[in-house]
Amino acid sequence: MAETDSFLHLARPLGPVAVGSAPTTAPLNVVIHPQALFSVLDHSLRRNADQERVIGTLLGTRSEDGTEVEIRTTFAVGHTETTDQVEVDMEYQKQMLALHLKANPKEVLVGWYATSSELNTFSALIQNFYSGQGDGTFPHPAVHLTVSTEPGKDVETRAYISAPVGVTAERAADSAAFIPVPYEIRYGETEKSGLESIAAARDAENRAANIFTDIEALERAVEDVLGMIDRVSRYVESVIDEEAPASTALGQFLLNALALAPKVEPADIERDFNNHIQDVLVVSYLANTIRTQMELSNRLATAQLTLGGEGNAESGQRGGQRGGKGGRGGQQRTQERSGEETRA
Amino acid sequence: MAEKEVPLTAVKVDALVVMKIIKHAGQTFPTTATGSIVGMDVGGTLEVTNSFPFPVVEMPAESHFDNAAPNPAAAAPRAKANVVYQAEMIRMLREVNVDANNVGWYTSANMGNFVNMNVIENQFFYQKEMNERTVALVHDVSRSAQGSLSLRAFRLSPKFMAAFKENKFSSEELQKSTLRHQDIFVELPVEIRNSHLLNSFIHQLQCPSKSASLDLPPSLAALEKGPYAKDSVLAPNYDNLSLSIDPFLEKNCDLLLDSIETHHTETNNYQYYQRSLAREQAKITAWQTKRKAENASRSALKQPLLPEDEWQRLFKLPQEPSRLETMLNTRQVEQYSRQIDSFVSATTGKMFAVKGNLLPGETAK
Repeated sequence: MAETDSFLHLARPLGPVAVGSAPTTAPLNVVIHPQALFSVLDHSLRRNADQERVIGTLLGTRSEDGTEVEIRTTFAVGHTETTDQVEVDMEYQKQMLALHLKANPKEVLVGWYATSSELNTFSALIQNFYSGQGDGTFPHPAVHLTVSTEPGKDVETRAYISAPVGVTAERAADSAAFIPVPYEIRYGETEKSGLESIAAARDAENRAANIFTDIEALERAVEDVLGMIDRVSRYVESVIDEEAPASTALGQFLLNALALAPKVEPADIERDFNNHIQDVLVVSYLANTIRTQMELSNRLATAQLTLGGEGNAESGQRGGQRGGKGGRGGQQRTQERSGEETRA
Repeated sequence: MAEKEVPLTAVKVDALVVMKIIKHAGQTFPTTATGSIVGMDVGGTLEVTNSFPFPVVEMPAESHFDNAAPNPAAAAPRAKANVVYQAEMIRMLREVNVDANNVGWYTSANMGNFVNMNVIENQFFYQKEMNERTVALVHDVSRSAQGSLSLRAFRLSPKFMAAFKENKFSSEELQKSTLRHQDIFVELPVEIRNSHLLNSFIHQLQCPSKSASLDLPPSLAALEKGPYAKDSVLAPNYDNLSLSIDPFLEKNCDLLLDSIETHHTETNNYQYYQRSLAREQAKITAWQTKRKAENASRSALKQPLLPEDEWQRLFKLPQEPSRLETMLNTRQVEQYSRQIDSFVSATTGKMFAVKGNLLPGETAK
């Protein structure tokens, strides 16, 4: 994958510049959020049967100095391509962009994607449209992302920016020098759990996974850790048996990891453990008590009371019970508060 | 809605939608994020294949003072502007071959605090106005941050829909319909599904290097800086092994306290209603006896009788407060306590594991 490639940062050849804006020649780094890639892949699945590739718009943020571009959202744009001409639905692109910006006012247009690795004249044309003045990303370079989706081959992702070439205006319009730029896939803390669930579906026959409950997730995590410990201890054993080559660095690393085990007094552990477990259990107990109380109170309020008198007597009785409930609720609350205080 | 025979039984969510919702919810946290989901209904299984966020309507600044001021984002799904926005967006999506049927909406939650009037009204709006077969997807940001994704699908039960339509939440009506707080929502199982392409992409992300053999690192620094020390994109998530429990418990206690407060207010309201009802009824009885006495004396004097049902005009019985709020509150508390239960079950396990590890022999009795 391109991730492991090394990159030579070339200063981007500058095109005609409007007076006053100082274009930057600093290296550019592209950060892709997983959901953007996912939606590119989704779009490529939904292309028309006769279409070789599909294109769409990339939205995201640009750092202040323009050296980092984050691609966060994408949307598909319809286009038709024949051997000698290409037609992009510009009207659609404009409307969709307006709709997206309404919901995500912070994001800006950063470029476009295509679902084939090929760069051709049409790519240059579209690229010039996206990086152009007015609706385009000018004076920043437009990012072009290619995600190959050929069956049977690896999904190959590449990012490019472009520079204008050509001596006359007509030639410059349909040509561009694409310069590859490095990119990385970055995901936020909140997305981690989502990605994990998605990854859990990858080995299943039907490509589906259920959402884990807390305890299942814990079980999986513990199993994973056990597996890793097994692997490490197997390696260490084979080093001891002189079957695998030894490495000082790995040894040092393992030693450092082992040194992280805390040294604490058994009494301290005992105390902390008891405190914590009591907190946890008391909160659980209280929560369930509150639930039962409330449910009881609701039931009493709406239950068909057949005992005793009718009408007024019934409602009076009900009121009395409810009053009692309210009082108990208050009591409950003080209990709960004191529980919280002791914990704090 | 002719094909109503098959009830919805499950929800399948595309990985793309999961990621989009997480992104949107994470960006706006801790305010609520809402959006629309589109997809298809295939024989009782609702397949959710795409989503888009709703624009947040800016509220005038003065409304922020009032605590009860509606959260603009939470109310967004049923705002008029957003219905238009949604229709427009779906029309656009149809052009690029996305399944362009609205199948519901999503919202973000914080520690399961999603059982409130906004959610009910939104879902009611969807099930009534848009399409009967719609779901609300609830993504819990705080719980997902703890390690395991929390994404749930809810619908309003038909019973509740009927009651809500006519606003039948007085005690008598509830006695008749036997509607209880458990009957408000119907939860549907959620499944995450990947496309083939995505599946192969994930497999590929996982093993970034194609080279079979791996050189041993020359030094510790090289090991720590190397490409394998960086956690790869899909490294398993060990957040749920974390032992910090206090923030979670504290937050839950806060939420429970709030609920108790609400419950208390509601019972007080109800008691107030009972008292004023009793007072009014006493007044009416007094008036009736007075009128009767008057009529008795009038009939003795052979004068025309005064009408005896005039009290209906003179006195007004107080309106019974709606029990809906209490019901929702109870449902919310149930939600909290279940949440605490599941947290506790995991935590006690972890704690005993730690104890067993640090004090070997103690637990091996």
